[in-house]
Amino acid sequence: MLLAVLISNSVGNILVERFNGVPAEERLHWRSFLVKLGADNLKHAKNEELFVASHKSVYIVYTVLGDICLYVVGKDEYDELALAEAIFVITGSIKDICKKPPTERTFLDKYGKICLTLDEIVWKVCITFLCFLVLLTLRN
Amino acid sequence: MAQPLVKKDDDRDDEAEYSPFMGIEKGAVLQEARVFNDPQLDPRRCSQVITKLLYLLNQGETFTKVEATEVFFAVTKLFQSKDVGLRRMLYLMIKELSPSADEVIIVTSSLMKDMNSKTDMYRANAIRVLCRITDGVLLTQIERYLKQAIVDKNPVVASAALVSGIHLLQTNPEVVKRWSNEVQEAVQSRAALVQFHALALLHQIRQNDRLAVSKLVTSLTRGTVRSPLAQCLLIRYTSQVIRESASNSQGGDRPFYDFLEGCLRHKAEMVIFEAARAITELSGVTSRELTPAITVLQLFLSSSKPVLRFAAVRTLNKVAMTHPMAVTNCNIDMESLISDQNRSIATLAITTLLKTGNESSVDRLMKQITNFMSDIADEFKIVVVEAIRSLCLKFPLKYRSLMNFLSNILREEGGFEYKKAIVDSIVILIRDIPDAKENGLLHLCEFIEDCEFTYLSTQILHFLGIEGPKTSDPSKYIRYIYNRVHLENATVRAAAVSTLAKFGAMVDALKPRIFVLLRRCLFDSDDEVRDRATLYLNTLGGDGEVVETDKGVKEFLFGALDIPLVNLETSLRNYEASEDAFDINSVPKEVKSQPLAEKKAPGKKQPTGLGAPPAAPPTTVDAYERLLSSIPELASLGKPFKSSAPTELTEAETEYAVNVVKHIYDRHVVFQYNCTNTIPEQQLEEVSVVVDSSDAEEFGFVLSKPLRSLPYDSPGQTFVVFEKPEGVPAVGKFSNTLKFIVKEVDPNTGEADEDGVDDEYQLEELEVVSADYMQKVGISNFRNAWESLDADLERVDEYGLGPRESLAEAVNAVISLLGMQPCEGTEAVPSNSRSHTCLLSGVFIGNTRVLARLQFGLTGPKEVAMKLAVRSDDIAVSDAIHEIVASG
Repeated sequence: MLLAVLISNSVGNILVERFNGVPAEERLHWRSFLVKLGADNLKHAKNEELFVASHKSVYIVYTVLGDICLYVVGKDEYDELALAEAIFVITGSIKDICKKPPTERTFLDKYGKICLTLDEIVWKVCITFLCFLVLLTLRN
Repeated sequence: MAQPLVKKDDDRDDEAEYSPFMGIEKGAVLQEARVFNDPQLDPRRCSQVITKLLYLLNQGETFTKVEATEVFFAVTKLFQSKDVGLRRMLYLMIKELSPSADEVIIVTSSLMKDMNSKTDMYRANAIRVLCRITDGVLLTQIERYLKQAIVDKNPVVASAALVSGIHLLQTNPEVVKRWSNEVQEAVQSRAALVQFHALALLHQIRQNDRLAVSKLVTSLTRGTVRSPLAQCLLIRYTSQVIRESASNSQGGDRPFYDFLEGCLRHKAEMVIFEAARAITELSGVTSRELTPAITVLQLFLSSSKPVLRFAAVRTLNKVAMTHPMAVTNCNIDMESLISDQNRSIATLAITTLLKTGNESSVDRLMKQITNFMSDIADEFKIVVVEAIRSLCLKFPLKYRSLMNFLSNILREEGGFEYKKAIVDSIVILIRDIPDAKENGLLHLCEFIEDCEFTYLSTQILHFLGIEGPKTSDPSKYIRYIYNRVHLENATVRAAAVSTLAKFGAMVDALKPRIFVLLRRCLFDSDDEVRDRATLYLNTLGGDGEVVETDKGVKEFLFGALDIPLVNLETSLRNYEASEDAFDINSVPKEVKSQPLAEKKAPGKKQPTGLGAPPAAPPTTVDAYERLLSSIPELASLGKPFKSSAPTELTEAETEYAVNVVKHIYDRHVVFQYNCTNTIPEQQLEEVSVVVDSSDAEEFGFVLSKPLRSLPYDSPGQTFVVFEKPEGVPAVGKFSNTLKFIVKEVDPNTGEADEDGVDDEYQLEELEVVSADYMQKVGISNFRNAWESLDADLERVDEYGLGPRESLAEAVNAVISLLGMQPCEGTEAVPSNSRSHTCLLSGVFIGNTRVLARLQFGLTGPKEVAMKLAVRSDDIAVSDAIHEIVASG
């Protein structure tokens, strides 16, 4: 199951978050865990360099794109490889919308469009299709 | 419009400070949402407002019911606009607001119109929104369109319908199952995306139909699957089919192995990993089958992408648990990963090396780990500690360096879970490696001198009480224990008092001094501590002369409570204070919950630390014995000779799940029916199984013990007893009907109605076969055992087994017919061999040892012949074995 997709700015403020099957009381824990993970590892990371971690039986793949950090969390069949595909599609579509790795401002300027694309990611024909399922799992 | 958006142009230069959502407030945005009601809609402005609403929701903001309804009604006005961008935002917003059933009706007709629109984008999105907000009634209305959409020529529309189907399967399975034909057609689609989703849905629809899944896999593995993701799914389903067909085709070539191996050469990394993992997880995988998978995984260990390195090392780590030798080739690559920047990868590499390393490499590894431990988090440290524990059990001679390592890290900083893992490991090493005992106990004593966790202190004190008195010099532990009485909280003090008393009870030489210490505890500020000290002093004879402690007293003070705690709790709750004291013997010993170990997931079995009693964990057989002896009617039958594995008598996912365990006695057979009620709205009472034994002539009905009540999801047992001629391996078929009174349960109160209705439920047949009379008992040296039996008691005969699929299949058939234990690995038949010898051993009813030597040979195309030689302590048993084969 894909448990969460989280996008934050460089100082850890949440811009977009989606949880799936995570109880409300655990979300805060996940939020701070992921942001700390990013703060520890993403400081000097290159754009789109993928990082991977596992916490108990849960996998986390995360990366940085311009000023924003992206995290995807999954378990079972959403292992590190499936998550890497998912994050690849998300970064790809954000780059398409913002034309380049975004600053926080460009990301927020295009916020509506980014939300739409995350929902309809399937319209990008070139994109792997897993994410359609992934994102629909989150949204539908 | 909100202030920040007006300021947008002025502040362009100041990028870092600027945010279009600065100072955003829910109330203000809700006010702005009134623009949706304007007669002249401004699409751009409306989109901006929706964006703000989305931003609020994504920040974790919630709308009250009234607010959500207001926004929803306003948003529905936007269907008037023809602006494509706004329409897309509108779809998204409806999904976010999750309208309630009575609101949905407002948008249904608009969405249904869009669902049949000429614009593909509208069709796909409308399908997704409708499926998201629909209920069962509406779904049947739109079902026709959804079926059309599944086979729509636009892949996006088809995929939208398929994915919606996956979601709807959870809520309306009966509707989605009707789409099977369309989904099947979509599996053949040329669009990779559609094929992937169709395959996922089709498998979910058919997951309970093994034959259908097997057919699906067979046809797809022959054809080409376009998307790598679909290929991954196919590999998963293939593994499932292999697992399920494993029992039929052991020994020979594994079906679909070639397909899996072929996938190792796929161009997508994802597929390669999926195939490699599938191969490594095959049951009874041979090293020849493993090699190609290990080789590709090894290549990924030096990949530049961390995700691939992680995936490879994670898979190899799993393989190392079952096939450590297969992974040793990767050790050099693995060692270089210890310094990997990614700590998850480094930890996995370390733990894999610990599993695959040999005795000589232990010291070198420990050195590397010591440097590594300081810069990883607790959760990784726990994994390392567990790996070190297993390593120490593997190489007991190395206990000194490993125990030192554990005690060193025990002194360092760390959280509760980490410390508990270390303490558990030390305890297990003390129990399993006698030489490590004294050293280990002292490490634990030092630890409790400065331990901040009450739980660990009490557990260690308890453990010291068990092990300490058995050491060569028990007195040296007393100081550590008594210090706790001075320096700790009441819980630890009470535990320390109990430990002192144990030393007193078990070591007579220490008794006088222990009594002095216990008497001091009589003045403790806590009543529990005082009570314990008083109890121990009185029962151990602290006020009189020092004598050896009576066995009964020891049992009373330190023996295990032989009653399920749940039962004790219930009895105590029901006990009303009166003249009669509470009688512990009145507590039922029957275990209420199902004592079946096999119901649990076949997860890894880890040695338990302090939490478990010192004895080995009870086996299933122990659990059965305890259960049977707790029921008076069954206890009189004695001890069962054999208890079979449970056989399911119902299909998966039926209203009532029933399986049966056959307990074989000398003169009786007891059927234990394990029943589970899977309907929350029902409670079953007076549950029994009516058994028809007309096809089992030698069996006579004795009694049936019904189950008084069977609430939802709380398994219970009912028993039926038959008698049979003593010592005779009688066989027969029994048909079963579950009878019960069903009562409705009020979902609000959880209470059952007073009145119930009699009902019954047909179960599958069960059979008592010859193998039920044979215990699988292995022996280490077959030859010696064979020769120790009298050759005069040997019976030899030859049999034609007729046409068989393979030699291996014939061997397995005879083994399962006899129910004996294969020895020395002779159950495995090398592929392509034309003859094979299999050695079996067992104990037949009446406790007679039996050995069998089976020689198989292929006599014609697929014709198998067998020579069977049987030796046993009793010639009649040797004959009986031949009879079983002859009639089987």
